[in-house]
Amino acid sequence: MDAKNPRRSRRASDALFFLVMGGISATFILLIVLLLVADVMFTSPSEFYRALAKPEIRAALQLTLFSCTVAAILSVWVGTPLGYLLSRYSFRGRWVIDTLVDIPIVLPPLVLGLSLLILFHQPIAGWQLESALRDGLGFPVTYRWPAVVLAQFSVACAFSVRTMRVTFDQMNPRAEEVARTLGCTRGQAFWRIALPQASRGIVTAFTIAWARALGEFGPIMVFAGTTRMRTEVLSTSVFLELSIGNLDAAVAVSLLMVMLAVVVLVVLRVLGTGLNS
Amino acid sequence: MIELKGVTVKSGSFVLPNISFQILSGEYAVLMGTSGRGKTTLLESICGLRRVAEGQVLIHGRDVTRWSPADREIGYVPQDLALFPKLSVLEHLEFALRLRKLSREVVTERTRELSEVLGIGHLLSRSIAGLSGGEAQRVALGRALSFRPSVLLLDEPLSALDESTRYEMHELLRRVKQTTGVTTLHVTHSVSEAESLADRCFWLAADGIQERPLSQIC
Amino acid sequence: MNRMAWVLLGSVAVVGALLLLMNDAASDKSLLDKQGNKTEPLLLFCAASNRGVMESIRTEYEREFNRSIQIQYGGSQSLLSSIEVSETGDLYLPADDSYIELGRKKRLLSEVLPLATMRGVVAVRRGNPKGVHAFADLKRKDLRVVQSSPDSSAIGKLTRELLSERNLWAGLEGATATFRTTVTDVANDLVVGSADAGIVYDAVLKSYPDLESIELAELDGLVSHVSLSVLAGSKQPQAALHFARFVAARDRGLKNYSAHGFQVVNGDVWSEVPELSIFAGSMLRPAIEESLVDFEKREGVRVTRVYNGCGILVAQMKAGQHPDAYFACDREFMKQVPDLFPKPVDVSTNQLVILVQKGNPLGIESLRDLGKKGVRVGVGHEKQCAMGWLTQNTIRQAGLQSEVMENVTVQTPTGDMLVNQLRAGSLDAAVAYLSNAAGAADYLDAIRIQGLSCSVATQPFAVAEDSPHTQLAERLFLKLCSAESQEIFLDEGFQWQDPKPSDRN
Repeated sequence: MDAKNPRRSRRASDALFFLVMGGISATFILLIVLLLVADVMFTSPSEFYRALAKPEIRAALQLTLFSCTVAAILSVWVGTPLGYLLSRYSFRGRWVIDTLVDIPIVLPPLVLGLSLLILFHQPIAGWQLESALRDGLGFPVTYRWPAVVLAQFSVACAFSVRTMRVTFDQMNPRAEEVARTLGCTRGQAFWRIALPQASRGIVTAFTIAWARALGEFGPIMVFAGTTRMRTEVLSTSVFLELSIGNLDAAVAVSLLMVMLAVVVLVVLRVLGTGLNS
Repeated sequence: MIELKGVTVKSGSFVLPNISFQILSGEYAVLMGTSGRGKTTLLESICGLRRVAEGQVLIHGRDVTRWSPADREIGYVPQDLALFPKLSVLEHLEFALRLRKLSREVVTERTRELSEVLGIGHLLSRSIAGLSGGEAQRVALGRALSFRPSVLLLDEPLSALDESTRYEMHELLRRVKQTTGVTTLHVTHSVSEAESLADRCFWLAADGIQERPLSQIC
Repeated sequence: MNRMAWVLLGSVAVVGALLLLMNDAASDKSLLDKQGNKTEPLLLFCAASNRGVMESIRTEYEREFNRSIQIQYGGSQSLLSSIEVSETGDLYLPADDSYIELGRKKRLLSEVLPLATMRGVVAVRRGNPKGVHAFADLKRKDLRVVQSSPDSSAIGKLTRELLSERNLWAGLEGATATFRTTVTDVANDLVVGSADAGIVYDAVLKSYPDLESIELAELDGLVSHVSLSVLAGSKQPQAALHFARFVAARDRGLKNYSAHGFQVVNGDVWSEVPELSIFAGSMLRPAIEESLVDFEKREGVRVTRVYNGCGILVAQMKAGQHPDAYFACDREFMKQVPDLFPKPVDVSTNQLVILVQKGNPLGIESLRDLGKKGVRVGVGHEKQCAMGWLTQNTIRQAGLQSEVMENVTVQTPTGDMLVNQLRAGSLDAAVAYLSNAAGAADYLDAIRIQGLSCSVATQPFAVAEDSPHTQLAERLFLKLCSAESQEIFLDEGFQWQDPKPSDRN
């Protein structure tokens, strides 16, 4: 037998492997690139700047940045303890909590928005959440900016919990157990041992939550409304521009969102690797 | 002194039935038995990381069955060592001491002492990422002993080490035993370890725990 | 561990700062109205398709009146659901009237102000590249046709109804490539090129310079109405109506609608506090006065009422006075001014009765007894009021005209005067309305007049053709037809005619 043959055929097989795997992966990458290129070609730089110059787009951009950040931070605050509990402790009703946490992810967005609206306005024994907040605390929610944050948070947190749970699942619980034998309370074990190890997961959770909040649309429309200069965020701007036929402006705002997302993702990625160096 | 009275532990479908034995203060006991017999489970029950379904665990005559692990003052070295990934070697040794809010001087003195006994003085500023098996073992041991526990539990501490390192560790453990006089329960498969270190030997089987005389090593 | 604490602290600071910033940006800058009172913003739920025109109207209104309008844009259906659930908001402007119907059925809406109409046309790309000229072209294989869904949009529903009647629907439905949710989706498809022809509203095309419309006879009659309605649950109905009137005014909001391609209706002339004048027969006063006061308060308008005998009113109108509305005591007196009021609607009926002193001392039982010797009778003046005219017809019909007229000592323009004279004792009997009797039951008795058709008066209501406030007058009419008003009429002794306000169109 020729000794060269098996070597050559293995090299050829390797080449085939990369071709096939790379080819399949490339189709998706290509699709995304083509979508972006199509968008860019549809609009023009002047249209883009015109859209940016509009005060309501500026206001929407500001509100988007602020609300997504707040929603993402809150999601991490809530998602980390909840993810930890779900990961470390098995208790009777755990599958119930698991299912509940996933509900905002599978619920159609409009249903989530409607449910929020109903929650705040359903009278329960003569008491209504919205009027209690508005009259009692001077803090109206529906159709105001807190509704935007709440709508974003409802979905973003579900993703954050999932991410943090996986993070803690992948962490050796033994370290925390040893910490407890050394004298740590559960809280101290969580704070000193588990949390520092979770920093990468936290950055990921924040990133996912932020991205999800950015893309949120349905619940915001129903629960927070789309008032110019008040509760309009970039995602609803696209819808509004589309609904009056301003396709150019709609695409321009869409591209703005893409750019915003890319910037934030890159920043977070750099931060994430920085944390681990 | 470690004493178990009629301890039954349930873990899923696995049951450790009715374990009773006693280890006197300062004794070095070795626990053997075929794999999967719950030796680890037993250690976890003693340190309080696993709930005991029935029976009592007594440390120095005190019933600690319902106590949290933090209160039992037991040093524990698990089989996979479970070092803290983000802390340096020094921080490992200081961990339990800083928890107890001891003064700077006490902490420094104790860690110096420990690092001398364990021979890891040159590693103190290192992160645990690049440590060899033996070095990691010593750090884990140091961490467990840092707060001068009266009981030390070791779960197959030497199984992952090579021949020569193991021999060094035998020496080390003997030194620790001599200098600290801590009551130790050491889980192992190795007969040579038992011969080398044990004052007493126990065997864990399906129906319970039995002491075997040293001559008749397991 | 320290780092975690810093991160946590940092995140708290960031969240706190952002919350403050967002709250700041959203704080209601207090606006003061002309009286210096702080004004609350109005909340309008507006269909997204009306965004362009509504924003321009809003800027003008806010500039003129110092009251801010917050507008929620969305799909007509989901806006309605939001209104239903949240029970907040002041106004609703859906894409077309089918949603107004829905809203009415759910009792969410009160006043409705018509704004404009839109026609359904076929839209193609500019230049008509595919050469669509006839209805048959739509069924060509090389043409992709899209429509709005008949289930989710009103234009779709109307198209289906209209074409089904003409037996053209099945053919078009088969040729339609897909059904989109809203009419703007259809237009967007045409612009992007994923469709070649679609059915849209002509008003929508205004914002699409790249599209043009093709008028087809088969779509003739495909008309939708755009109206603005005030929510029944609004906490500021007067302010809401103020804004609504602004939008519906032909020299304000409707100008914007016209500029955006809608066909506007004949709206009222704008006025800050409109003055509506109504002429009404004096016997109607107890029946309508309360409703008029309510109407004034709710709409924030002034209603000038002139109550008198209908004959006098007609004379005034013939002499040049033109009220915005006229509520006559009988059809006869509406017929006399047909050019001013071509479309009256019957609202109620009233019955002539014989009024006597309490206890009926003279034992009068019928009209015949009015002819008895010594009875002092009072009637309405034939020329001055419907009551008088009807009385004459009645006694003539009974064959008692000369006998009764011999006993007539006084003829007045209104029934109230007869009542007063009876109370004063200067009359023994009078022929007046049942409603006059209802108001004087404590000291007078009424005797029914049986079997004489002329004794029944039918009250018609009409809005003046040339009034600058036809819409407002129509709303007044609706108010008079409301359930509460009907009750008042019945209490006062009238019979209700159940006028259908749609009869007005």
